[in-house]
Amino acid sequence: MSFSFDLTRPPSISQRMSRHLLGQLWRHKSGRVGLILGLFLFVFAMIGFVWTPHDPNVPHYISALKAPSFAHPFGTDATGRDMLSRSLDGAHRSLGAALLVLSAVFLIGLLIGTAAGVIGGVVDMLLMRVVDIAMTLPGLVLAFAVLGILGPGFVNLLIALIIADWAWYARLARSLALGARSKPHVTAAKLAGISQWRIVLGHIFPGVALQLGVVASLALGGMIGAISGFSFLGLGVQPPHAEWGALLADSRLYFALAPWLLIVPAGFIFLSVLSANLVGNALRDVAGQETIA
Amino acid sequence: MGYGPQQVRSRADIRARGGLLTAAFSRLFQAVLTALAASVIVWSLLPLAPGDVATRVLLARGVNDPTAAEIAAAHDALGLNNPLPVQFFQWLGHVLQGDFGQSFTSQASVTQEILERLPATLMLLGLALVFSVVFSVILALLAAAYQDRWPDQLIRAYTQIGAAFPTFVFALLALTFVVVGFQMGQVLSDVTWRAALIPAFIIGLDRAASWTQLLRAGLLQAMNSGYAEVARTRGASERRILLRYALPNAILPFLTAIGVSVGALIGGAPLIEAIFTWPGLGAYLLEALSARNYPVIQAYVLIAALSYVTAAFLVDLAALLLDPRLREVGK
Repeated sequence: MSFSFDLTRPPSISQRMSRHLLGQLWRHKSGRVGLILGLFLFVFAMIGFVWTPHDPNVPHYISALKAPSFAHPFGTDATGRDMLSRSLDGAHRSLGAALLVLSAVFLIGLLIGTAAGVIGGVVDMLLMRVVDIAMTLPGLVLAFAVLGILGPGFVNLLIALIIADWAWYARLARSLALGARSKPHVTAAKLAGISQWRIVLGHIFPGVALQLGVVASLALGGMIGAISGFSFLGLGVQPPHAEWGALLADSRLYFALAPWLLIVPAGFIFLSVLSANLVGNALRDVAGQETIA
Repeated sequence: MGYGPQQVRSRADIRARGGLLTAAFSRLFQAVLTALAASVIVWSLLPLAPGDVATRVLLARGVNDPTAAEIAAAHDALGLNNPLPVQFFQWLGHVLQGDFGQSFTSQASVTQEILERLPATLMLLGLALVFSVVFSVILALLAAAYQDRWPDQLIRAYTQIGAAFPTFVFALLALTFVVVGFQMGQVLSDVTWRAALIPAFIIGLDRAASWTQLLRAGLLQAMNSGYAEVARTRGASERRILLRYALPNAILPFLTAIGVSVGALIGGAPLIEAIFTWPGLGAYLLEALSARNYPVIQAYVLIAALSYVTAAFLVDLAALLLDPRLREVGK
């Protein structure tokens, strides 16, 4: 690892990385596959957000349990609802919710963790005791506990998952911030007489954000699985709204009769988690050498 | 994703505290503190929950339309007028005696109902854990032994695909296309080891994917390290290096990962039990969640937290026993 000590324009990790990150991901073999797959799913979710070929929620009993055909490429469910429309409509809930929860825990963790690491002293101690307490329960169990208080529902599920996960990111951000304080470019900035605030915002924060972002991207696949799992149990998205996990729950009784009702939502969940894993692993490979090492 | 307290202590840390016993006791103390913190969270579910507790309890006892006087009396009887810390210690006292209170729905003792369902969950999760450990150790050893040849490529494909399936989706697919399709086993299960075999196998196969990845990476790293190179120059066979040098070194992070995964396994129990219609604790929790049956939710969360803390503690102990570096004194 080499650092340039150009004091007129101090090296900013975020500037250097963001310019090259996408390019490097693209050159990474499995990263490219993940990116293309992710882009496809993103466009799919965006289309589903504004348009679906049929109404995703209105039953049409006369065409119940139809196998895939030209009119219904993914078939229909037990109440005759078009599975393509329901998959399209569910995409932004499944994927959007996972991204929303991860962004929230990332931001909360980043702010609290960096604050604790940089300020230190009593603030650090108090914040970390709260983090310790929040981490005594395994994440999923804490999420169940919060859902027990708030009751089932999509928004409540998102709140529960945020409460279950933020502490983990806060602890990681704190240790990253502590580590960043002794890195050569920060020492150089101190020696150059740059103010405390500029060091924190310009030299510590971006690096911590990048490393935490890599970790968050590795967790995306698991988050997609968790959201569809809770919705499968009826604790997340409520009927008649579509979500990939909820689609599986809706049609459980008909899988043997109409396997497309299982294959379509399972396929979408699989592809999204696969895409997230590929991009996350590639991101770790690409960004890892430069920052985490 | 990793949760929970820092698992393995640094060598310098252990040295400063001195020896195996001291390290073990300090870890035990931490575990008890964690359990205590967890019980505070669990207890606080009740005061945090919306609605009046006394009214819920009265409804559970079959008093359908409690008068104001009855509610006030129940408040007194349940100790709800005491300060919160007093209430917590009263609750903790009951729990330590194995009393989780009365179910809001069935009016039976929650402890009794838990004890009826606990063996089923332990059976299924325990067997699944055994399967996944066995699968991942065998597959990782195979992959490391045949690095970049076809067995390794096959196993890597399996780990990539397995890691991309959330356990419940994989279980649904396996259940529909393999178990029901080929008429293997009963789907509506009663609780026997035989009935637990297929669900545990399916869960184990899915869980093993990410553990195989982890152990394979650790093995390969150890195979390329300095001490493996030294052993190689001294004429040790690749097989000996893999089993005697790489495996013991790579197994420690793997153990830690298993300890953390026990939390995920317990947290995933409701989903798994819902899919296999397995009458365990997870299914019990789901009933309780939809009925807002708080004593049951509390009991489940506390049992899950305690099992998690215990698993983390045992893994740490195992690490201390396996790795002499962790308990070196002096020098």
